[in-house]
Amino acid sequence: MNELRSTIYELLVKAEETYGTRDAIRYKVKDAGEGGRKETKIEAKTYTQLREDSEHFSAALAKLGEQGKHVAVVGATSYGWITAYYGIVNGGSVAVPLDANLPAEDLCELIDRADVTALVYDGTKVNVAQMAAERCSGLKHLIAMEEAGVSGVLSMWEMIAKAPAGTGYEPRPEDLATIMFTSGTTGKSKGVMLTHRNLAENATALDMGYEPGTVLMSVLPIHHAYCLSMDILKGTSVGAVICINDSLLRVARNIKLFEPNMILMVPLMVETLAKKLEEAAFIPAPLVKAKVFGKQFHTICSGGAYLNPAYIDLFKKYGITILQGYGMTECAPVISTNCNSASKAGSIGKCMPNCEVKIVDEEIWVKGTSVMQGYYKMPEETAQTLEDGWLKTGDLGYVDEDGFLFLTGRRKNLIITPNGENVSPEEIENKLGANRLVQEVLVRDREGVIEAEIFPDLEYAAKKRIKDVQAELQAIIDAYNKTAPLYKRVFSLKVRDVEFEKNTTKKIKRF
Amino acid sequence: MIEQLKDIIVNYVEVKKEDIKPESRFIEDLGFTSFDFMSMLGEVEDELDVEIDQEEAANIRTVQEAADYLAKLV
Repeated sequence: MNELRSTIYELLVKAEETYGTRDAIRYKVKDAGEGGRKETKIEAKTYTQLREDSEHFSAALAKLGEQGKHVAVVGATSYGWITAYYGIVNGGSVAVPLDANLPAEDLCELIDRADVTALVYDGTKVNVAQMAAERCSGLKHLIAMEEAGVSGVLSMWEMIAKAPAGTGYEPRPEDLATIMFTSGTTGKSKGVMLTHRNLAENATALDMGYEPGTVLMSVLPIHHAYCLSMDILKGTSVGAVICINDSLLRVARNIKLFEPNMILMVPLMVETLAKKLEEAAFIPAPLVKAKVFGKQFHTICSGGAYLNPAYIDLFKKYGITILQGYGMTECAPVISTNCNSASKAGSIGKCMPNCEVKIVDEEIWVKGTSVMQGYYKMPEETAQTLEDGWLKTGDLGYVDEDGFLFLTGRRKNLIITPNGENVSPEEIENKLGANRLVQEVLVRDREGVIEAEIFPDLEYAAKKRIKDVQAELQAIIDAYNKTAPLYKRVFSLKVRDVEFEKNTTKKIKRF
Repeated sequence: MIEQLKDIIVNYVEVKKEDIKPESRFIEDLGFTSFDFMSMLGEVEDELDVEIDQEEAANIRTVQEAADYLAKLV
């Protein structure tokens, strides 16, 4: 079931009216069992509890004078985090989700830049709260998701218990709901301003065919637009059960515990799981699938970076569909996605129904109700990115005759060769990366020559008894060069012995 | 503890048990990717019935450091 919702308030209220007593969120708790050994149990909150808790939190924030102000949330994915988020935006305030992996100094800088007046944080971010209390002059309230225990700090659950239900306020579609900082692979991060309509319509415009009660397991960081929109907002709107993966260390065990039907991932995770499947290639596919994912598992949504199409075929053998999508925070975030009713290999799917796409000079431009209002307090950057309602994505691509979108690279990464030809490094990276010996690759211009820097998969080399890895990599490049026009050929190879440095969304830092 | 760790490590990377030294670095010397390393720590949690803090885990570089960290938890 899927209906368009234009505010996050409407999205949650309608979901609660439809799915009230069903489980909305499931998470792990540790209990002291017999003999003092800790036992893991699953706890759940229903749609009604989620709505009520968040409405009480809205009222508590209003009482503090925080209605309409900017409230930051930082911490791991939890029921508290999700409750805080719905409470903030549905009570008429602006949520500022922050990346829990950033150092405290950087978080304080973002708190200042986003004019945050209240900070909601979990038990792992007490140091951030302490530093922010000293450094951020605009910050008026600290709200702890767990026991406050310190004077001057408010306890979120006490606030919820004491506050009346709701504020009587109903947000409008054009109200600002969230400022989300980009994690971009280059430059200073920018605060993307998204309204209720941007987020709610992006999450509900496309019917992906999810059944109510579909079990999702959320593994990506929740401050990330892809996770917040597709796991939390879309999950809520379709009556899914959202299970919280508590640590990247425990993905495999949590799959066994929660028995999800689908998981949203970034390509690096897909690649790691692919290795596991390949290691067990001598065991019949249904058995491997049942052991690794459980019988009930059927779909992986992948986004955030390029995924080698070979993995889609590999997973198909195990009865698992990978739906590759594409988006950016500036578009709340999904721009296009493959879905069961319309998909094409190598493509990033069709444009969302609430948006349109055009190609200008090879660059993808997007217009529609998902497109952001601009970057917070950055008029110049906003003017460079938005033109007459069109968002210039900076990504290069094309649309085929059936309306499927294909990506070829990033405009800002383009290499301009000495004779003026444009070369997209991603196009070459994807071709070289299709070889299993190439674990990670970065293509760049070095003094007028195209260079590929490669981190080889040494485990794979050992398995295949490849002695001279350098020579084998050179052979891969030679084979590519034979198929490429002269200006796209790679003339320099650099082999790395450690993997590339990545940002928190696991993308290679390019510069 | 180091012996226990070695038994687990050989399941993740192609390296002989006798070649694993306390000073071996997981990523640079033993050929772990950051994701393999995370998955291995997940298995260690199960084996030893401990809980590893993801942020502290990110600071572990060598086999000895891992053993010292785990010894504190057991």
